[in-house]
Amino acid sequence: MIQIKNITKRYKNITALDDVSLEIKSGEFFGLLGPNGAGKSTLMSLLSGYLDADEGTITFKDSIISRDSMKVRKKFGLAPQSLALYEDISAEANLKIFGSMYLMNKDILKAAIEEKLYTAGLFERKKDIVKTFSGGMKRRLNLVAALLHSPKVLLCDEPTVGVDPQSRNAIFDYLQKINKEENITVIYTTHYMEEAERLCKRIAIIDMGKIIAQGTKDELLNLLPYKEEIFIGKNEKTKSVLDSLGKFGEIIEHAEQYEVKLQGDFKLSDVFKLFEDSGIGYNNIDFRKPTLEELFLNLTGRRLRD
Amino acid sequence: MKTILQLFKKDYTLFFKDKVAMGLTFIVPIVLIYIFGKVFGSVGGGDEHLQLGFINKSSAPVAKKLERVLDTTKTFALVKNYKDETGNIVLYDTNMIKTHIKSGKFSSALIIPEDAYTDTSKSLKLIFFYDPKNQFETQLIDGMLQQTIMQQFPELFQQSMTRQAETDLGKEKGGMFNSEIARTVNKFYKIDTSVLLNKNLNSQSDTAMSTGGNNMFKNIVNIEKQQLVGKDIANPMATRSVGGWAMMFLLFTITGSATSLLDEKKSGVMIRILSAPVTSTHILWSKYLFNMSLGIIQLFVMFLFGYLIFNIDIFSNLFNLVLIILAASTACTAFGMLLASLVNTPRQANGWGTFLILMMSAVGGAWFPVSLMPASIQFFSKLTIVYWSVEGFLAVLWRGAGFMDIWQYLAVLFGISIVINLFSIYKFKRGNVF
Repeated sequence: MIQIKNITKRYKNITALDDVSLEIKSGEFFGLLGPNGAGKSTLMSLLSGYLDADEGTITFKDSIISRDSMKVRKKFGLAPQSLALYEDISAEANLKIFGSMYLMNKDILKAAIEEKLYTAGLFERKKDIVKTFSGGMKRRLNLVAALLHSPKVLLCDEPTVGVDPQSRNAIFDYLQKINKEENITVIYTTHYMEEAERLCKRIAIIDMGKIIAQGTKDELLNLLPYKEEIFIGKNEKTKSVLDSLGKFGEIIEHAEQYEVKLQGDFKLSDVFKLFEDSGIGYNNIDFRKPTLEELFLNLTGRRLRD
Repeated sequence: MKTILQLFKKDYTLFFKDKVAMGLTFIVPIVLIYIFGKVFGSVGGGDEHLQLGFINKSSAPVAKKLERVLDTTKTFALVKNYKDETGNIVLYDTNMIKTHIKSGKFSSALIIPEDAYTDTSKSLKLIFFYDPKNQFETQLIDGMLQQTIMQQFPELFQQSMTRQAETDLGKEKGGMFNSEIARTVNKFYKIDTSVLLNKNLNSQSDTAMSTGGNNMFKNIVNIEKQQLVGKDIANPMATRSVGGWAMMFLLFTITGSATSLLDEKKSGVMIRILSAPVTSTHILWSKYLFNMSLGIIQLFVMFLFGYLIFNIDIFSNLFNLVLIILAASTACTAFGMLLASLVNTPRQANGWGTFLILMMSAVGGAWFPVSLMPASIQFFSKLTIVYWSVEGFLAVLWRGAGFMDIWQYLAVLFGISIVINLFSIYKFKRGNVF
């Protein structure tokens, strides 16, 4: 549905996006994961038609998206990273202003405002001044403002910045609901790998303006040379089995633990048997699945939040 | 104490990193003080000349002398002729000088009539036409004129007293009285009064003797004053000043509103709006129309308030007042948009806006008549929106000017608006607001 082909965008001497290509399917919850300054917001600005690319094209159902493509831009709704709201007027007044930008019929707009506020759990506060809202409520209102005109694609640029965990969950629930029930394609940028893993069917990892990997979570994790990790507390017993553990994968020594990145063909039961034979209790062993954070570290040598 | 010092140091570090704050703290006040000093410092005492229309119809030597004195004084620049429609230089007659005062070409004129001083005159007769659209200016010219005459004509006083004594006591007794007075003055003050007593007033002496006193002056120099404009104005003071103050506040309002573009950019609202089917052209047009309509409403409200509270007559020349309001609002809006296109942050906009508005108000005549400012400042006055708007409002409210008299103000204001708008659009297209 959305095709991003060889997009390059420069700001003076800085290349924000460098030959980026992606394809996003209709109804998909697509994640764009990368650290701050990776180029996520620039890509969102290009998708929304706010900016034009220096090179390459972005199409939505074969129609090119640009600053001049008014019709196509109506199909998109952007929830910017900053709280793009007028804080001194009510939630309802804000939505009337932003809805009117799409030249919506007055009655349809009114109905849309009520429905979306209700879905977002803000209906009771619609007459309240926005600056009296909590951070989480403002974030939800920011999303509602992007959805009033019933877009086919919702662009969420880091919608949970500065939000407490409880409000964050409310935002996740809301986004998943509109994605499933209204079949709205969601393109979600974040630098929190937990969010990308939890919400997104497919994820593109972006760093320094380049897409360094993309696919489902499993496809991405398959890019890692190891499938599981074992963390074992340091003591005399564990020291004695290090040589034997080495045949299952690479061992990294930390201050209080050994980390074993399991690689190659072996039976997991062989590992457990080794621990059992050595008298190492299970309370001293921690099995972990690798995360996208580790994939990013593996691909770039840096952590997502560096 | 150490903590306080650290916090103190922190504030200075932040202050010196903020170029705008530094500019507002030091450079802006220095520039404003310099400009205000230039504007106000030379009033009545500088090297600049006050324009004074002048006709001398008298052949009396005293009239010739008065003309020569006024010609050479630094205080006045006598305007004795004008260019007619064919471009010829023509000497003023009374009717034409009145017409030019009424049209605002200059605010006052001195006429020395044919019978200004005859052999039987006890006082010098002069006619003073004036338009008190700038009351301060008229009062200043009047005062300076009296001072100049009295400083240059002490013998007028002496001669007037001599003639008065001869009229009241008869020629013989009057002569004796004058001689006795002269002898007494000579005895006690060692002044040779015979020189003055025997001097013919029409001789061309340059004797200087300073004297004063308004009543005394009136008996020696009889100035017939004729107010040519604004006699029927119910509240002259308010009518004169309303335009200037209205313009200053209009500029503040519109600048604040125009620079809201920067607030919208900063808050992210601009991205949201531009991600809708909205272009930067839509935004600029809407902002321009909003500011212009806001300006028109604000000016109307201010003039209506003036009408209700100060009895300023806004309805007898309403059509032309509306035209000036429209032109002034258009120009102020253009200024606000220009500012928004040139600065990067709301803070910069506030700083520059305050500086430029205060400067334009001072130089443009919102607070003080431009005609009393130095010529160098008057040149800059004419480059400001405030000047053309204030002059337009004065023309409409004070002189009751018709369209043919105000078209040049309208043309200049709309012209300024077009030029500024074209430049602003150029800057917006290349700037970072959108």
